Amino acid sequence: MSYTLSRTGAVGERALRQLRHDRRFLGLSLVAPLLIIYLLYVFFESTSSPFFRPTEFIVPVGAFIVHFITFLLCAIVLVRERTARTLERMFVNGYRQREIIGGYLLAYTGLATLQSLAVLTEMHLLFALDYSLDRLLSIYLVMWLLAVISLALGILISNFARNEGQIFPFIPLVILPSIFLSGVIVSVEKLPEWAQWLGRLTPLYYANEVIQALIEPGGSLDDAWISLALLPIYGVAILLLAMLTLRERE
Amino acid sequence: MAMTGSKESASAISVSGLRKLYGRFEALKDVSLTVERGEIFGLLGANGAGKSTLIKVLVGSLKPSAGSVQVLGLDPIKQAQLLRRQIGYMPQVPALYEDLSPRDNVRFFGKAHGLANLERRIDEVLEFVNLRSRERDPVYSFSGGMKQRVSLACALIHAPRLLLLDEPSAGVDPKLREAFWQHFRELAANGVTLLVSTHQMDEAFHCDRVAIMRDGLFLACDTPKNLMRRGRAQISIWRGAEVDRHAVTNYAEQLPGILRRYNLDPSITRVEIEEDTLEAIVLDMINVREAQITPAKEAVDVVHA
Repeated sequence: MSYTLSRTGAVGERALRQLRHDRRFLGLSLVAPLLIIYLLYVFFESTSSPFFRPTEFIVPVGAFIVHFITFLLCAIVLVRERTARTLERMFVNGYRQREIIGGYLLAYTGLATLQSLAVLTEMHLLFALDYSLDRLLSIYLVMWLLAVISLALGILISNFARNEGQIFPFIPLVILPSIFLSGVIVSVEKLPEWAQWLGRLTPLYYANEVIQALIEPGGSLDDAWISLALLPIYGVAILLLAMLTLRERE
Repeated sequence: MAMTGSKESASAISVSGLRKLYGRFEALKDVSLTVERGEIFGLLGANGAGKSTLIKVLVGSLKPSAGSVQVLGLDPIKQAQLLRRQIGYMPQVPALYEDLSPRDNVRFFGKAHGLANLERRIDEVLEFVNLRSRERDPVYSFSGGMKQRVSLACALIHAPRLLLLDEPSAGVDPKLREAFWQHFRELAANGVTLLVSTHQMDEAFHCDRVAIMRDGLFLACDTPKNLMRRGRAQISIWRGAEVDRHAVTNYAEQLPGILRRYNLDPSITRVEIEEDTLEAIVLDMINVREAQITPAKEAVDVVHA
C-alpha cells in the first residue's frame, strides 16, 4: 500500500514539475477561462436589458467553462504521454494504472483548484455577485467538484485517443451537448424525455442543479443535496472506468 | 532485489513459436530464441524487421498472438509486475519528459522501483552516460544522441538483471558508443543479460550471439564468428605476374583443397584472401528473395540466389 502511495506521489510530483516548467501551458490553463469570462462580461454588458439578468447565467456558464477547459487540458496531457511513449515506459517500469491516474489527479486537482478560484473571483468582481460568503463557498465547492470530475473525464476520454487530434471529436460528442442538455440554457423539463435522460448522464446537469439552488433567492444547499452527493459518486465512477480502460498494452 | 519466481530458469529469455499479428499483418512469424544468462545477444535487421516488436513482447508491452515467452523464468503478461522489477528497457524513441532535466527523468523512473539510495544511483548513471554537466538542463535542448544517453540512464537506474535495449547507440558518437559497449561487457561479466537491437553491423562483434531478422523472421542466429563463415571469399593465387582467382563460400575449409590442385607449385609467390564483411553477409541475408525465406531453424540455411 505504501509502495502504491509513494509511486502515486511520484507521478503527481513529476506532473507538477512538468507544469512548473511548461509555463505557457500553465499560463494558458489559468488565463484562458478568465479571458472567456471577461468576453462574456463584455457581451452581457452590450446586450443589457431590464428583462435579462446575466448573474442567473454566468455562474453555471462559468462552471461549464472550467469543466470544458480542464477536461481538454487533462485529456491532451494524457494523450501526449501515449504519443511520446512515456506511458509505455511508465508501465514497463512498474507503474500501475491506479498510480498513474491517481498521480495525475493529484497534480491537476491543484491546477483545477486554482482555476475554479480564479474564475469565481473574476465573476464575483465583474458581475458583482450578491451572494453571502456561505453561498459563494458552496458555489466554489460545486465548481471545484465539477473541475475534478472533468479531470477524470479527460483521463477516461484520453484512453480512447491515440493522438492529440483524436481528442477533438470528443468535444462535440461529450462536452458541448452538456451545455444544452444540463439545464444551463434551457430548463431540463422542457426537453423531450430522451434528452432529459441524456442530460442526466452529464456531470454539468448535477452541478447546475446545485448552482441553480444556490443562486435562487433564499435557496441553499439543502435544496439540492442529492445532486451535490451525486457529483463525487459520478467522479468516482468515471475514475473507475478510466482505470479499467487505461490500456497497458496495444 | 526480489527475484521471486525466476531462480529455477536457466535461460534469461526463452521464446518458442512466437507470432505477433497487427490485424492481418504478421510482424513476427514463428520466432524461437533462447538467450542465456550473462549473454549479450544482438538483434540485427533493417527497420520493420520485427526487432522492436520482439523486444516489446519480451517486456510485456505487447501480447503475443501465439507461442510461449518466458523472461527470467516469468510470463511477461501474467507476471508483469514481478518481471518489471528485474528488467531495464530502453525503447527505440527516447520516451522522456522533454521539459524536465535528465536528473528529473531518471529520478522519476527510479522512484518506480523504490530505491533506497536513489540520488547516489542517479549520480552514478548520469556519470556513466557522461551527462553530469548537463544534468539540470531541459531534455528538449539536447541532441538526439544525448537524449539516447538519458534514456539509457533511465533503463540502468535500478541495476536490472536483464537489459533490453532497442538501438541504444543510435546517434551516439563512436567514442561514447565504445564506452557503452565496454560497460555492457562489464555488466554481462557480472551476470547481467543484454538483448540489444542495432542496425550497426560493427556492433554485432560486441555480441556473444546475433540474430539476423527480416520480415519478422530469424534468417540466422549464431556467433558473429560463425556468421562470418557464411560469407563468400575470393582466393587469389599469384604465380609471378599470373593470377588465378577462386570464389569460395568457406575459405577456411576450401583453401587446402585449392592449394592441393597446385601441387605445392614452387612458383606460387603470393596467396591473397579477400573475405566478405559481416555487413555484406548480413545484407545478402536480408536481401534474399522472399521465396527463399523459411521460418526458424531452416532459415539458418538460406541459399543465396
